Amino acid sequence: MDAHQHTSRWIVLSFLLPSLIGFIIFILTPIGMAFGISLTNFAGGPRFRFVGLGNFIQAFGSAAFRNSFRITLVFTLWTVLFQILLGMVFALILNRKVILRTFFRGTYFLPNVLSSIAVGLAFMLIFDPQRGPLNQLLRHWGMRPPLWLSGEHTALLTIIIVTVWQSFGYYMVLFLGGLQTINRSLYEAAEIDGAGAIRRFFSVTLPGLSPILFYSITIAVIRAFQVFDQVYIMTGGQLGGGPAGATSVLVFDIYRNGFAQFRFGYAAAESVVLLGVVFIVTFIQYRGQKRWVTYDVV
Amino acid sequence: MTWSKTRILPGAGKMALYLLLLFTAFLILMPLVVVVSTAFKPDDQIYEFPMRIIPRTPTLENFGKLAQNFPRYIWNSCKLTFWIVLVQLITATTGAYAFSKLRWRGRDFLFLLYILSMMVPIQAIIIPQFLIIRNLGLYDNHWALVLTGSFTAFGTFLIKQYFMTIPDSYLEAARIDGASEYMIFFRIMFPLAKPVLATQVIFSFRYFWNDFFAPLIYLTSQHLKTLPLGMADFATETYTYVGPQMAASFISIVPVMLIFLFAQRYFVEGVAAVGVKG
Repeated sequence: MDAHQHTSRWIVLSFLLPSLIGFIIFILTPIGMAFGISLTNFAGGPRFRFVGLGNFIQAFGSAAFRNSFRITLVFTLWTVLFQILLGMVFALILNRKVILRTFFRGTYFLPNVLSSIAVGLAFMLIFDPQRGPLNQLLRHWGMRPPLWLSGEHTALLTIIIVTVWQSFGYYMVLFLGGLQTINRSLYEAAEIDGAGAIRRFFSVTLPGLSPILFYSITIAVIRAFQVFDQVYIMTGGQLGGGPAGATSVLVFDIYRNGFAQFRFGYAAAESVVLLGVVFIVTFIQYRGQKRWVTYDVV
Repeated sequence: MTWSKTRILPGAGKMALYLLLLFTAFLILMPLVVVVSTAFKPDDQIYEFPMRIIPRTPTLENFGKLAQNFPRYIWNSCKLTFWIVLVQLITATTGAYAFSKLRWRGRDFLFLLYILSMMVPIQAIIIPQFLIIRNLGLYDNHWALVLTGSFTAFGTFLIKQYFMTIPDSYLEAARIDGASEYMIFFRIMFPLAKPVLATQVIFSFRYFWNDFFAPLIYLTSQHLKTLPLGMADFATETYTYVGPQMAASFISIVPVMLIFLFAQRYFVEGVAAVGVKG
């Protein structure tokens, strides 16, 4: 194999440059710059100065930032939980021989490919507190329906519902892929040993799915921290953030500070916090998959 | 007794299972039915209860109300999506070739950086990325989106995985026959990789056709706006034009749904390919 040595530098570069240019200028440099800008009071003008950790101190002391961080955590907890749970349940069901299996798989995955803006507009109509079809139906059944997106205590919940609606199918597909990698003979062996369905799930299926499960949770957490589109469209555009700021998630706060108030230094500090979260989650996934994940059940 | 139990329960269980599947399918499809049906309803029938799926008097007036701005938005979306998909296809295939079939120092390290960058959300680097674009004089310009979208870690990874399944002996044989790397790339790898290229094209089409965040940051002029941006303008208006909103949503959803209907396999393969990597 080693008879073929390294390819000529120019040929390698010619293949590499198209992707490398974009990577360096628009991904790698911005990651580095985010740290630099976060230590300044840069506001877009030529005059700015180094403020050390001032932005971070200000952020963690500010009610708006702490509130948005808390909201993001709540959003993350519920969306990740339900996406993974529903994804797993439907993957297990649709991995069996079921009539219309392809239809169900396709239908559950479908929302994932649609524009979150279009989806958001549709749900604004459905959840309209006064005239929307859902609340009309609930009133018809004699209930006092919630205000959904307009209610201080239900706005975030509504966005969580829409997000889970749109993306649990993605995790279902991931788990369906994972289930294919589990060796069928393990189930037969377990059955011969007298293991029931629940026992088989916990001693064969779950360990077999653990790498995919771990990966899915990581992806779901990172995506939950990125949430923005749904909040922007469903709770009031640039000036939004929901009733009493109930849906002002982290990225929304970054957006508002950066692009509505041009506090680039401060917004960059918030971005660094986001990067930190991503780093920690990725690191846990990287370390954890070695320690907790079973790869040997093949 | 036990006999009838074991016989009936699986049947009842199966029944419950199908009810669950059907009910979930209903919950998934209903909002989409609402979009389609509302798009063709006149204003005074939109909030009728009970809701009718087939409008009493179907109309195109909602689409008519979009006639002023939306043709421009749709055109911008088509144009931008086309260019970004094309650019990504080029950067992903050339990158994948460099990482899978060429040997050079630092290859594995750089590839690791590419993979790690998949975890970094665009939202976390948007402030500096915006400043770079502004310094390049590309703010409020479609080039901002083409350039910031040119790199795809996902696509490079996806295609690299596929390229690695193509035996090196094919390439060696071609090299001995005097084929250049470029010829191998275009004549051997490209044709062999068609299925994975389809996956890549479909994935980046779906992403950029729906993309909202980057256009929101980089475009302000009315005449440059994309379809999702135009749709988001509805959210900031005081009066809500529900009919036209649903008509616009309909336009935005239909192309992706059609592609999904005929090429579902590629969507699923793309998701699974990255997932299995773990």
